[in-house]
Amino acid sequence: MKKFLSLILAAVMLLTLVPAMAESPVEITMLLEGCNVTDDAAVLEKLNAYLGEKIGVTLKPVWGTWGNFDDLAQNAVNTGSSEYDIMFTCSWTKNEYAPYAKKGAYVRLDDPEDNLLNEYGAELKTVLPDLLFEGAMTEGPDGEKGIYAVPGFKDFATMNTWDVNVTLLEKYGYTLEDVVKAGFYGWGDIFAKVKAGEEAEGKVFYPFVFEGAVVERYVDGTPIVTGDSSGLLSYYMNTEDVSVPGAYGNVIFNKFATPEFEKFARQMREYYLAGYIDPAIAIGETATDTWRNAQNTASYLISSEVSLYGYEYTTSEARGIQVAYVMTTDAPYIDNTSVQGAMMAISANSAHPVEAMKFLNLLNTDPFVMTLLNYGIEGVHYTLNAEGEVEFNADARAAYSPWTNGLGNVTLLPPQKGQGADFQKRFAEFYAGSKKLPIYGFTFDGKAVETEIAAVANIKDAYALSLFTGAVDVDTALPELLSKLEGAGMQKIVDEANAQLKAFLGE
Amino acid sequence: MTTAAARKHGSFRLNVVSRKAETLFHVILGVFALACIIPFIFVVIISFSSEESIRQVGYSFSPAAWSLDAYNQVFNLGDALWRSYFNSFLITIVGTVASVAMCVLYAYPLYRKDYRLRGFFSFLSFFTMIFGGGLIPTYIICKNLLGMSNNYAALIVPMLVSPFNIIIMRTFFQTSVPFDLIEAATIDGSGEYTTLVRIILPIVKPGIATIALLTALGYWNEWFLCLLYVTDRKLYPLQYLLMEMQRNAEFLARNSSMIGASGASAISSLPSQTMRMAVVVFIVLPIACAYPFFQRFVVAGLTIGSVKG
Repeated sequence: MKKFLSLILAAVMLLTLVPAMAESPVEITMLLEGCNVTDDAAVLEKLNAYLGEKIGVTLKPVWGTWGNFDDLAQNAVNTGSSEYDIMFTCSWTKNEYAPYAKKGAYVRLDDPEDNLLNEYGAELKTVLPDLLFEGAMTEGPDGEKGIYAVPGFKDFATMNTWDVNVTLLEKYGYTLEDVVKAGFYGWGDIFAKVKAGEEAEGKVFYPFVFEGAVVERYVDGTPIVTGDSSGLLSYYMNTEDVSVPGAYGNVIFNKFATPEFEKFARQMREYYLAGYIDPAIAIGETATDTWRNAQNTASYLISSEVSLYGYEYTTSEARGIQVAYVMTTDAPYIDNTSVQGAMMAISANSAHPVEAMKFLNLLNTDPFVMTLLNYGIEGVHYTLNAEGEVEFNADARAAYSPWTNGLGNVTLLPPQKGQGADFQKRFAEFYAGSKKLPIYGFTFDGKAVETEIAAVANIKDAYALSLFTGAVDVDTALPELLSKLEGAGMQKIVDEANAQLKAFLGE
Repeated sequence: MTTAAARKHGSFRLNVVSRKAETLFHVILGVFALACIIPFIFVVIISFSSEESIRQVGYSFSPAAWSLDAYNQVFNLGDALWRSYFNSFLITIVGTVASVAMCVLYAYPLYRKDYRLRGFFSFLSFFTMIFGGGLIPTYIICKNLLGMSNNYAALIVPMLVSPFNIIIMRTFFQTSVPFDLIEAATIDGSGEYTTLVRIILPIVKPGIATIALLTALGYWNEWFLCLLYVTDRKLYPLQYLLMEMQRNAEFLARNSSMIGASGASAISSLPSQTMRMAVVVFIVLPIACAYPFFQRFVVAGLTIGSVKG
């Protein structure tokens, strides 16, 4: 009898709890990437009051940093943990979108049985360009293609550019036109004159400062082949019109075995020997610092940059010179890497997928939520000037700077100082003009040639940067590299990639 | 020749190795000591170099220009710095005391020949030295089962019991505490606890100091637990604060072309190289200061129990 009574009592207690639970907002935990946030209390208080009222949700962000995000995400996925409802994901860090989706770590958003996207993300679907959803298609655990994350609306097309120090260029009587016309293979004279002139003033000056690991892409027009994380493969795009196949057609090559590569490497060697390139750029440990330092201190003539729309203003301001970006293709190009650059997935173990989707919908469509989460509180973290542009309060911003591109729809944000009131409109229009690569959607799956890739990648690492930067003699290093690659099974990887590409295009 | 005169000339010395051998040993130990201290001196020098100098001449023992910028930057971290300092101390002190207590209490019965389950418990601790559960099962147990997530327990408990220290401690008991002593104490009417606390512990002080030092070092330098279990910045120990700066810098260097332009601004907002070195100095100083206090016991530990000349 006593047992029975206590059971009834317990049941009554539970019943009284139910309505209370339904009313209190659901807490959504979100794991973010690349943030530098030490004080979020004020922002969250304001945000959660709004969210609670609007969709019955409160947000608890976990501010991952560049340094710890990979580990946090990896642990959560591998242990099947339910601690994060929403997780940042993308195709370029160690933590790749496709493998985790394949593993079943994320909820399929366009599941035919339970289409969260249609049901709770209708506004979101109208706001984001279709091609973003197209790019977010990936294979799930069942082998079928689906959308496993909400893609971020940001600079979703790749813009490989030469970053030109116009102020310095004009000092020596050249114009931007001259640089564009001469092209990479004809910059020798300009470099010579500027270097001589600058060094006559008594400083050490290297006119050509770039990111060694990727500069070959700019010169040869070879986009990243998605899935080729070691950078072994080259696909040659048509730089005159990136939406149609180039002279080689849709074929993938060993990056180092083409005549184009040899020509590029020889030219770099020439520039290196002439003293136009800082030797520190050829050393892995110092390469990035040297490149960025030269840019920030405006001690360069031509540099490389993966740019974005309106970036000239930011850098010109910061460096105190006039910066121009010269695109190396006719239009920004869309490939998987750029489209899957920043996305938000709902964890398969989340207890609240519906609320998570509601929140993502709001984050990508409601300027108030996006601006508050991204820029903080008006009057505290930033102020709006007469043109309606954001001016940050440096101190408050230092304690609250999430990674803008890693959050969601950046076109909802008010423009920053100097961008102009209609910046976001121009931004969206600009990227609407970007073009899809003919192999857009293709992802190389290296599983079948894993061993070869591991062996080849080690060999490549030993040579690549010094060849890219001209630090070694092409006549000895290149044949050596090629024969070693051949011995380690490079051809097998290329064949596999081409077979997969053929199958992909044949579909 | 009198003994005194001989001593003066150094040709007659008791209990010593030859001059040549002694010189050789001194040189070897000297080189070893230098190899230990030079990297640290280098770090200190870099932390006092100016950023500009590093850009020009790289890391150097004689930088082009000196500067206190790095230390200014570190102090500008403000709360984050002192909070982490406090956390590091808290974790180290609580962790060391608890860990040493556990170690002694585990090792003592293992040394007692009259304890029946001795073999079993020896095996139990020894087994974990050879076979670990692996990272993911450990993570699941700590985080999901034991709830060690975003709290101090997560930074202390996983390192509490070290089989290696237990074995050192047991061996120390065996070599320095004669069993007769315990029997004598029992006959004199001392209970188990009194025997342990009043008789045994004072004898094994050097052993305790040694493992306390090892454990304290372990806790002080720990950052991996924080990476695994803690995302709340208020709980970061100093070592992890440094590690985070370092990992952020490495990540951005590796992926700069992928993050594109927004990566550039991220890089420029990173702590400078000199600042990271200054943080290293902050980390090393307290533990370096603690060394002399332990040293007395460590040296005693080396000589105790052996036959003395």
